[in-house]
Amino acid sequence: MLADLGARVIKVERPGGDVARRLGPWLGDEPGVERSGTYQFLNTNKESVVIDLKAPGAREVVARLVGLADLVVSSFPPAVSDRLGLSYEWFEATKPIPVLEMTNFGSNGPYRDYQLSDTVLYAMGAEMWSLGAADREPIKIGGTAALLQCGAMGAVAALGAITAYERHGVGQLVELSLFDVQINSVDRRSSAILAYRFCGRVNARPRQSGAGLVGGVVACADGYLEVNASAGNYWRRFVAMVGDPALADAKFASPVAALDPAVKGEAERIITPWLLSHTRAEIWEKARREHAIVAPLFAGKDLFEDAVFRERGLWTEVEHATLGRFPMLGRPYILEKTPWRIRKPAPMLGEHTRSVLTEVGLSTPDIDALYAGGVVA
Amino acid sequence: MSGELLPLEGVRICDFSIVWAGASATMYLADMGAECIKVENPYIWNPMTRAASPRLTAQTAAMLPAWISGHPGGEPQPRPWNNSSAFIHIQRNKTSFTVDSRRPEGLKIVQDLIRSCDILAENLPFGTLDRLGLDDAAIRALRPDIIILHVPAFGRTGDYVQARGYGSAMDAVAGGTILRGYPETSPLGNAAMVPSDFAAGMHGAAAVLAALRHRRRTGEGQLIEMAQVESAVQMFPQAALDAAWNGRSHGTIGNRSLEAFVPNGVFATRGGDEWIAISCRSDEEWAALVRYMGTPAWALAPGLEAAAGRAAAEAEIERHLSEWTATLERMPLFHALQAAGVTAGPVMTAQDAAEDPHLAVTGAWTRLPATEDYPEIDWALPPYRFSKSDVTLRTPPARFGEHNEYVYREVLGLTEAEYAALRAAGHVTTSYEPDTIANA
Repeated sequence: MLADLGARVIKVERPGGDVARRLGPWLGDEPGVERSGTYQFLNTNKESVVIDLKAPGAREVVARLVGLADLVVSSFPPAVSDRLGLSYEWFEATKPIPVLEMTNFGSNGPYRDYQLSDTVLYAMGAEMWSLGAADREPIKIGGTAALLQCGAMGAVAALGAITAYERHGVGQLVELSLFDVQINSVDRRSSAILAYRFCGRVNARPRQSGAGLVGGVVACADGYLEVNASAGNYWRRFVAMVGDPALADAKFASPVAALDPAVKGEAERIITPWLLSHTRAEIWEKARREHAIVAPLFAGKDLFEDAVFRERGLWTEVEHATLGRFPMLGRPYILEKTPWRIRKPAPMLGEHTRSVLTEVGLSTPDIDALYAGGVVA
Repeated sequence: MSGELLPLEGVRICDFSIVWAGASATMYLADMGAECIKVENPYIWNPMTRAASPRLTAQTAAMLPAWISGHPGGEPQPRPWNNSSAFIHIQRNKTSFTVDSRRPEGLKIVQDLIRSCDILAENLPFGTLDRLGLDDAAIRALRPDIIILHVPAFGRTGDYVQARGYGSAMDAVAGGTILRGYPETSPLGNAAMVPSDFAAGMHGAAAVLAALRHRRRTGEGQLIEMAQVESAVQMFPQAALDAAWNGRSHGTIGNRSLEAFVPNGVFATRGGDEWIAISCRSDEEWAALVRYMGTPAWALAPGLEAAAGRAAAEAEIERHLSEWTATLERMPLFHALQAAGVTAGPVMTAQDAAEDPHLAVTGAWTRLPATEDYPEIDWALPPYRFSKSDVTLRTPPARFGEHNEYVYREVLGLTEAEYAALRAAGHVTTSYEPDTIANA
């Protein structure tokens, strides 16, 4: 996020590369250290410098990079920071700039050294317990969204720290634990915790999806829709969208209409055939006209092919030195004066090692010696 | 120490944001020290912004899911808008005042406020501010160097501008909903959730922080348009890129891993409705799990030592693991697996989280005194911990109209007589108007 907003980001990779390079999807379904979709998405506009942080002399190289920087971001487990000698105290002594340390569980407490995956993070920190069916196991959010949310929170924290540095001249340590990010999630977790504190109630996995006469995910002719037609305005708009006068009967408008199985069944006999005889596109168009709270479930292909999103710039392309041109997700926001922009694709492994080491004042023989000694690559 | 070295000290926000996406963006900025002044209209009930309903009673609250209708003691009245579990905490570090901006004298108040603001934030239905006479040009005429954050649901251009929805609608279109669910069933059973609100709040705050930096350097404000749906897409890049690159559409994979970790799932433990999540992120973690289980014969089958072999036997591995975890308690198993080098964790209820021993000692909560609207309880602190700047929960969640006197008298400099006239005209209040409550 920071690189795409214009920051120069020098990424220190381990020999062999960031773990993300081993995660799909793969460009052309062909695995390879430069072909990872996860890596390409997360590292646009960055430079790659490969350093073996365990090698003797590595820290002196890192110190030179810190000399170039306004901000350090690290995501080492606390024990690894200690072992490598890359603690906040060392960074502060090297250059008093802000340091953002992202850790699984923070720098103290009983879980300090525990490991996380996206699934375990979502299970512990977020509202997984209330997601899924009552008689089944709790279910996670899609993809690796929980981890990506933590990255976005990290960008906010980093920008706050840079702002304090530039305005007040203070470098400082900013700690961000992934667990805390999810505990604070406005995707119902922070609310669920507060509800428990207020009245002892705990979110539960629902016995059935949706509410009212129709709601939640429903099927239509060519896929699914997310529907909110709760009593009041949203029901009236839903009725207008369907356009069947029989649905306008007052018996359906009551907030407790769904409690009467006969009424619910009667409504379903009108609604379900209508939904199943219309496509997502047809229904969404009618929904927009009536301001009904109805939206289609898109898959990746729908997003990629959607003319409106393409026109708006949801997608862009990058030109890669060895892979050629390929599509990339575009901007999350449109900034009028300082546009989000991909200036260059994700770096190849160690692409900038020599140029950056030269920039920080190392001589060619010194750099050659670091390569020969396996300190850099 | 209070207020010291705050990143956004002296920055003021005119905040029209509602529900969670916009309101959490301004919450992060308020945490960073911005003075966030919420503009609230006592004649308009914005749905899902201060409570599920202004008429919510103990009975109707109990019928709704806990997160949306948890109120102190289960009793929302008399002011449900000041103690909703879903919304009150999003008002931390903020300031609230009331005004009916649809009337001329109310609009003038808002215009005066905008003149003193560095940022205007809104995620109202498309066109709402324009109808008030506060289109971008009008706002910039009042304050030329202002930063305007628009968070429309589906954009301010294109065919989808009139599409309405909460976070669950944006999550559907962003491609998130279709990825959720059990592998053998359709997404029809999915409960509504709102990860797109979470993403949009963070992306919105980041964009404003970037725009503020540009303004510090050039004196220039700017417009930010962040369609919530487009921000949400950033949470699901693997599925989007696989479609774009390889023509493949992802569906539900349950709790299995997109990152090819096997096993990766949630397994029942001893006791009722208790579960543990386990991820073997490497062959080493698998070997550690096998050792910890006591090297059972099934786990020694040829090929399972490598991820590809485990992927071929994934269902079989999950079945064996379920049988094993069913005999064990989740919390001791969690600690033992982590100590053995296996990534694992309990599926935590809200109660588990509230009572978690790690969060208790790492400073996740702070106790705030009781008010007339809620009791003395622990509230969540922001997740980012700054060692020098006072970035934390500095002032309690703003109740409706709580800071009327401050905003009208100190910020806007009205005389006592002017303030009294606006109060008499119904602008200044700590309650929604009775008709508004009745018709919400």
